[in-house]
Amino acid sequence: MSSASFYPPSGIYSDGYKKDMRILKTRKQWILSAVSLVFLFALPHIPYINSSYSLRLVIGAGIAVIACLGLNILTGYCGQLNIGQSAFVMVGAFTSGLLNAYLGWPFWASVIPAGLAAAAVGTVFGIPSVRLKGLYLALTTLGAQIILTWIALFGLTITAAGFSVEPVKLGGIVFDRPEKFYYIAMFFTVVMTFFAKNMMRSKLGRAFIAIRDNDKAAEGMGIDIFRYKLIAFAICTFYAGVAGSLLVHYLMWAQLESFTLQDSIWYLVMIIVGGLGSIEGTIFGVVIITALKELIFVIGPIAEETLTFMPIGAGSGLLLIIIGGIAIFFLSFEPRGMAHRWNLIKAYYRLWPFGY
Amino acid sequence: MEFFGLLVISGMMNGAIYGLVALGFVLIYKSSSVLNFSQGHMLLLGAYIFWFFVGSLGLNLFVSVLLAMVSGFFVGVLIERLTLRRLIGQPLISLITVTIFLSLVLEGLVSLIWGTYPLQHVTVFPSSPLRIGKMVLTTQSLFAIGLALASATALIIFFRYTRIGLAMRGVAEGHQIMQSMGISVKRILNISWGIAGIAATIGGILMGGTLGFQLGLSHIGLLAIPAAFIGGLESPEGAILGGLLIGLSESIISGYMGNAAGVPAAFVILIAVMFFRPYGFFGLERIERV
Repeated sequence: MSSASFYPPSGIYSDGYKKDMRILKTRKQWILSAVSLVFLFALPHIPYINSSYSLRLVIGAGIAVIACLGLNILTGYCGQLNIGQSAFVMVGAFTSGLLNAYLGWPFWASVIPAGLAAAAVGTVFGIPSVRLKGLYLALTTLGAQIILTWIALFGLTITAAGFSVEPVKLGGIVFDRPEKFYYIAMFFTVVMTFFAKNMMRSKLGRAFIAIRDNDKAAEGMGIDIFRYKLIAFAICTFYAGVAGSLLVHYLMWAQLESFTLQDSIWYLVMIIVGGLGSIEGTIFGVVIITALKELIFVIGPIAEETLTFMPIGAGSGLLLIIIGGIAIFFLSFEPRGMAHRWNLIKAYYRLWPFGY
Repeated sequence: MEFFGLLVISGMMNGAIYGLVALGFVLIYKSSSVLNFSQGHMLLLGAYIFWFFVGSLGLNLFVSVLLAMVSGFFVGVLIERLTLRRLIGQPLISLITVTIFLSLVLEGLVSLIWGTYPLQHVTVFPSSPLRIGKMVLTTQSLFAIGLALASATALIIFFRYTRIGLAMRGVAEGHQIMQSMGISVKRILNISWGIAGIAATIGGILMGGTLGFQLGLSHIGLLAIPAAFIGGLESPEGAILGGLLIGLSESIISGYMGNAAGVPAAFVILIAVMFFRPYGFFGLERIERV
């Protein structure tokens, strides 16, 4: 794995597997992690950058991180291409939303069922992976996107029209504004990231990597491929469901338009730019792509206004070219994503000025 | 009964076009074992290029079709040269994802040049209807079915009897072996993308003539993918049959159920087929055991 290929600085001895597996190996890493956690949760109170615009961006990124973590576990670690992640986000969103709107379940009671519902649906669509690999599997997930969207659009009247959902409540506090919901989003993002990181360094993660790298060899070593592939599907879609549940309670409105094929492709771009098979990479990718998306949304209309020779809709065309171009660029020139670049920078810093 | 007949005819016509586009998938898959998700967008671009020759330059219909096909070939060649060539030796998953993003770039390109609104309609085929009993056949549907069948036959002959066709089948089996036998793998891949571009362009012209020249044309790719898979990705005749099957089921199901159920139905059929015959009806079964 990318992080394992970089040695810790000198003086850090791993005299035992337990020590070797630590996420935070040095005191500096502990301090930096603690500082960044404090910073993350103190963000709404820091002047100049605590506008609700920037908080909204961070919340959006946090929810995307959860969906992308799941996708990265399935696609990056286990090697099963999934081009229908936003459909599973939708399943979670509608489950949580309907439980809230009809049965009056609060967010805290419906977030786990939302994840489980998404995981159940995802596992069903993962069953063909027994006999199918790579390319064929991409199709069943594309089918999932199309079929699930169709069911939501025509199968149930309520999901087609959209409905309102109550905000998250905890004790007497109602998390109905970005400044407040921010804490909920960050809490879930941090916890889910921690879970993902932990899962991927355990037996489960090693089995996924073995399946990705060579499934025949993995089976020869006694890994039950079918079982682990289904587990990967279940984890991936569970994350999607939790992300969906957060999304509807944040927007306080559940609608179909938030879950399109385009969104699924966005998630894929995020993990490719960040780094397939890397938890840190997922976060890098989400941050970079969110920033880029925002930049294009600002620049696009301006460009369309000034460059009048371009036809109507050219701005959205430009957006597509940029997204697609970036993803193709990363796949061709930096297939290991930003996570790899980050490790190189760390190694450079550690070895400076004797970087040979 | 009349309604059913009408659905069958329109299903056959659309199915023939899906089959034609599916042929493009088969072509690329056969030579490089990559599934080209951007086939639908290559079709879109081909249709718009055709529209450019007819609508903007005002050229003769046949000249424009010919020019569009030539441009389609070069679009395919260019795509292979600029993106896929760089990824030789990468895992299959990145090759497939690249084609997904390629489709975004192609759609962006089209809307950057021509905008997102539908273009002015161009009559491709004379619209004199043929009557058989009570059913009305448009010349267009005959053209589509004829052209699809002709292309399929041409491709089957091409793969079986020509040098390049045989080389393409060899390249699909393994790059190293073919390279050591003195066949330029790069050239073969390039040509197969070019031919796929031509197939997409023909499909685009046929579809554009019916549905109008608009961005929605690329959705045909979504229906051609199940067609190619149901037929079996290695088989041109399977692609045509798969296309007809998908076209028929799409038109009958959306005819009776409404609600644009055609596309999801195609995928339900696809998933059902993949449960029982993962390699399609005519595909090569690869047996892997530990």
